[in-house]
Amino acid sequence: MSARAHVDRRLVLQAGAGALAAGALGWPRPAAAEARQGITDTEVLIGALGQLTGPFAFIGAPARDGMQLALEKINAAGDINGRRLPLLFEQASTPAESVAAAKKLTESDKVFVLVIASGSTGAAAAADYVRSAGIPTYNIFGATAIIRDPFARNVFHGSMPDAGVSGEGMIEQAMRAAPGAKKVGILAGTYAFPQSNLKAIQPRLEKRGVEVVVEQFDAAARDYTAQLVSFARQRVPVIMILGSFTEAGFAIKQAPEKGLTDVAWVLDGSGTNDAIVPIIGAENTRNLWGYFNAPFFPTQTDDAMVNFVRIWTAKYGQPPQGRPNLYDMVAYGCTYVLAQAMKKAGRELDWSTLMAAWEKLDNAKPSDLGGYDVIFPESVTASDHQGNKLVGPARVVDGKWRVVW
Amino acid sequence: MSNQRGSAALRVTAPSLGMLAVAVLGLAVGSYWQYVLAVSLSAAIVGGGLAMLVGYARCITIATGAMLAIGAYGAAVPVIRLDIPFLAALAFATALGALAGIVLAVPGVRFRSHNLAMVTFVFQAVVIIALRESKGLTGGAEGLNVPSPTLLGLTFRDDAAFLLLCGVLAALIILPLAVLLEGPFGKNLRAVAGNENAARAFGIEVSHHLIAAFAWSSAVIAFAGALSAPRYRIIDPDSYGILASIFTLAYPIIGGMGSIWGGLVGGGVLRIVPELLRPLADYIELIFCVLVVLTLTFFPDGMASAGLRWLRPRRRGEAAAPAPARAQQAAPVAALLSSTAAIAGKPAHRVMPPADGALLAVAGVSKAYGALRAVNGVSLAVPPRALHGLMGPNGAGKTTLFNIISGFVAADAGSMALAGEPLEAVAIERRIGLGMTRTFQHAAVFHSLSCLDNVVIGLGRNGVWRTTWRSAQAAIDAGATRAERHAALAALDCVGLAARAREPAGALSLGDQRRLEIARAIVSRPLLTLLDEPVSGLAVEEAHRMRELLLAINRDLGIAMVVIEHNIGFLVSLCRRISVMSEGSVIAEGDAARVVEDPGVRHAYFGEREAVA
Amino acid sequence: MIAEFIMIVVGGIKFGAIYALAAIGIVVIHKATRTVNFAHGAFVLMGAYACYGVVEGLGLGYGAAFVLAPLAAGALAAAIELAILRPIRQADSFAVITSTIFIGIGLSELYRLVQNTEMLALPNPVPGPPLFLGDAVVTREQIWVVAGAVLAGLIGLAIFGYARIGRGMRAMAANPRGAALCGYSADAVNALAWFLGGALAGLAGVFAAPSKGVSAELAISMITAGFVAAVIGGFDSLRGALMGGFILGVAETLAAGYVSSATKSAVSFLLLFVILLWRPQGLFPEAKIRDV
Repeated sequence: MSARAHVDRRLVLQAGAGALAAGALGWPRPAAAEARQGITDTEVLIGALGQLTGPFAFIGAPARDGMQLALEKINAAGDINGRRLPLLFEQASTPAESVAAAKKLTESDKVFVLVIASGSTGAAAAADYVRSAGIPTYNIFGATAIIRDPFARNVFHGSMPDAGVSGEGMIEQAMRAAPGAKKVGILAGTYAFPQSNLKAIQPRLEKRGVEVVVEQFDAAARDYTAQLVSFARQRVPVIMILGSFTEAGFAIKQAPEKGLTDVAWVLDGSGTNDAIVPIIGAENTRNLWGYFNAPFFPTQTDDAMVNFVRIWTAKYGQPPQGRPNLYDMVAYGCTYVLAQAMKKAGRELDWSTLMAAWEKLDNAKPSDLGGYDVIFPESVTASDHQGNKLVGPARVVDGKWRVVW
Repeated sequence: MSNQRGSAALRVTAPSLGMLAVAVLGLAVGSYWQYVLAVSLSAAIVGGGLAMLVGYARCITIATGAMLAIGAYGAAVPVIRLDIPFLAALAFATALGALAGIVLAVPGVRFRSHNLAMVTFVFQAVVIIALRESKGLTGGAEGLNVPSPTLLGLTFRDDAAFLLLCGVLAALIILPLAVLLEGPFGKNLRAVAGNENAARAFGIEVSHHLIAAFAWSSAVIAFAGALSAPRYRIIDPDSYGILASIFTLAYPIIGGMGSIWGGLVGGGVLRIVPELLRPLADYIELIFCVLVVLTLTFFPDGMASAGLRWLRPRRRGEAAAPAPARAQQAAPVAALLSSTAAIAGKPAHRVMPPADGALLAVAGVSKAYGALRAVNGVSLAVPPRALHGLMGPNGAGKTTLFNIISGFVAADAGSMALAGEPLEAVAIERRIGLGMTRTFQHAAVFHSLSCLDNVVIGLGRNGVWRTTWRSAQAAIDAGATRAERHAALAALDCVGLAARAREPAGALSLGDQRRLEIARAIVSRPLLTLLDEPVSGLAVEEAHRMRELLLAINRDLGIAMVVIEHNIGFLVSLCRRISVMSEGSVIAEGDAARVVEDPGVRHAYFGEREAVA
Repeated sequence: MIAEFIMIVVGGIKFGAIYALAAIGIVVIHKATRTVNFAHGAFVLMGAYACYGVVEGLGLGYGAAFVLAPLAAGALAAAIELAILRPIRQADSFAVITSTIFIGIGLSELYRLVQNTEMLALPNPVPGPPLFLGDAVVTREQIWVVAGAVLAGLIGLAIFGYARIGRGMRAMAANPRGAALCGYSADAVNALAWFLGGALAGLAGVFAAPSKGVSAELAISMITAGFVAAVIGGFDSLRGALMGGFILGVAETLAAGYVSSATKSAVSFLLLFVILLWRPQGLFPEAKIRDV
């Protein structure tokens, strides 16, 4: 083969590739998401995404369990306007995976409604996409402002209020724990959820004339020497911890080693977890304050809670340490709220009827559909899509957290 | 020959065309899968970069995540803060990646194996920490919102358009990588991974090559990071943590360590697997680990290579005639004369052989290890075209002397000169340029390279810039490599291995490997070759043939030889003069036949006493 | 001021003791088999998990954990050496090192799948009021960790240095063929070395469990710290590993206490880098380097 012929062969290949490209661009491609997708005569497909592996698996895995528990009961108790509700739960550990999962669920699996059951980072990542896709989206855990701003008609928020509400709750607890305190310490994780809380809390404290000492730590840190020493030097009487219960637990445990005795601790929603007690020792829990995003803790004995644990155990067996947790409860309860909105929308179900019905929810709770009320009731309006705006103040009583009003 | 030229160019452009084809074919699928394919293309790029570093150079790197992050942030931050166009930011990020690779490699390449791995790990951790801490610049742990890329005013928000963009850009960045890996640069990397000492002895500057490998692969990986960031919308430092580094390591391992395709396919496929196997999402990471360990145990070349081997038909003519007749040798040696002269029009070495006097002059060289005097005041004078033997009982210091002469060990005292040029300050890699080559005690051929490629390396011209240039030349114009291969083939013919030119050197028997070493040592037509136990482990017949070969080479090519051997009969029949060493000193030197009769020599070797007469 | 300094240093010594134990295990395996075990952190995790199982699951208390956890971790390590690494050992170091990296990650993932909670917490092994040195507070747990780790480390040193097993391992490392000729079986010695190294890791896990909690992240943090400590001390020196662990622990907490929290991680890497460049044989090397 001569050199000329060889070069020509390459040209032909390239030309062919170009032709293919031109042709393919003209091909009809599958349509983007549609307002009636995921609905058949007998089913409405619900999609959800959350972290099943990785450091935040304690959010996603319980979310899946809670949703499946709720849907099983709802489907068994009777269809929603003649339709069952199957669930498709996708794993999404990193922001990249959140976007990928959202796209897959919306465009490939064509779910009818999307539930974002990942923490704030995942919700923030998927926010742009869900806003532009227009699919009704239920953000049940993310407190971050990114998914709330700008307002989008198709995005609704569940049990976790935005950082402003929970921030006020923590500040109230801090004032109760150390009345008249002029200095407050804040120990905040550097990742999305604690940072959005910090942004809400710090200005509010400063507006009250309180001096704020801020120290930060990286996710899953185990050593708080630097931060604790700084707080000890500045003699803060009360410290707020914005982070998970493991992070808070080790910080509190190491505090006496750095000279911080007799300090009040205020924890956020992820810190108020019974699993923190063994870390710090039951005898050291007098000074723990917090808030909880549900009306009671999993270990409290209110009827609804006892029943919830019963049906959870019946489905999943003996719970491991720390389960069922807040995310089990919220996912379960919010699923009921979603089902209610769908029921109210009637048989002629599509995106706009769903959203219209959702915006009319007033004190919607699981017991409306035969479930157990383990979440705060949700009320939504056309201009305010935040379903729940309450937080429950919490103390440790007899080695276990309790909501104490 | 134009066939060869065609195939070289095709081999080099095929990976790029493949990436383009994937992008084009992807236009037919739904937008979710287009998104997946775009991500897969950037993973393929990462795989290609790692093929160079991990597959060819066999360096364990745990810094891939950091390089991806450098690329992603390196492109996103300028676009967000300075409103720079996407392509410019992409170029900037790639350059940043190259710089990072150099910063990592310059101190790092002093180390090998686990220490190198830890240095890369340090780099990885420090970069992520730095990104987390510089909140003002990078948004810290909360992450950074990356906008869609804009090109000439068009914003690529649509999945199909982005996929096409990815395909084109991927094809572009893979091209130089393929050129390097298919050409002499890739072969030199494999030589370094195979046997560093032999590589250095033939002019390959190991640390320069490794630094270059790090620079290129880091640049490519940073490119991939910058390309994929807009699709992820939000990037945060923890997405690029150590787990990212470790799992990308699986790309070349599972895909195949021997070629760029292994890395590309490994990266592209493994990235898609979690999307395809979503029901197994919980188990994906565990499955990957199991796969890698299985691959390392049973398919050390990677699954792709194993698959290819299974598919490729058997080669014909595997068993070559073992014994070239003497007459056969004469003609090939003449061919070697003409072909090596054709390379670059001048001989490989710069030094002119002296008309008289010593070619190699060693004077009073000593080397001690603590209390042990390995070499004690040794002097040696080797005239041009000499055949000089070196013998002595074990531990006499012969190999140490060779190592000193060839530059691997620094003498404590004394001097050495080759054709009048002092050798003490000359680096190992420069010896071949001066006209000195050597063979090694344990046949140090490059097992994964073909016999032909082994000998091509023997031509020298292996400085890293030269090699890069030669790789580019090889891709564009096969004429340049033709002369090299011609000379190498002639050298192989000389030693009777021409029929096995394309076989990997590791498949050869020990005798054939020793002959391969000889071919590699003479192809550059050196002035002097040091031969370390050339017939050790060979049968009598083979030793005899080796002697004939060496005599012919010495006679027809005029190469002087210094030979270490334990086989005294061989040494006496080959060499004209012999030096005998014992316990670090030369105890006798002179005409071969007479030296072995010397009573002192016999005493050192056999413990004979004067009494036996 | 002084009190604060003492407390910071004591905290550093406590972590340093755990690092030292991990490092000794790494060095034992390297001395005997010339392999750097990147899965070592996962072995520590296994030991910590076993400790949780014994203390919380079986309710047997820490005393039993001290015996059972190292045994479990050691057995696992030996099994891995026999089943996976022995066949790979024929290949080059690249394959072995990479295998240990992925075995380590695989074990962490396996743990995460089996035990799907964020972290398992363990009660304080020595509850009681802390001790006071002037203004400085020293908790009983800190003393327990340091004393226990040092004791365990010294026992490991003694075994390796003096017992016949230890001599066999050192012989095998120096000259496999010679040792084999003397009657030491390579397979047995390797398996034993891995068992011992794994047991030390398991013991480190028992100490780490109440201080750091049992979670998959423990594996990575322990291999990092253990490796850095081993390099600082001198990779082939058991005594060096012990000292290296303490040096690392104290350096880290001093940096955290007096500079900033981010420098804590940076310090360990800085130390590693500096030692590798300036004194690659470590600060407390055992034997001189011999080039042959």
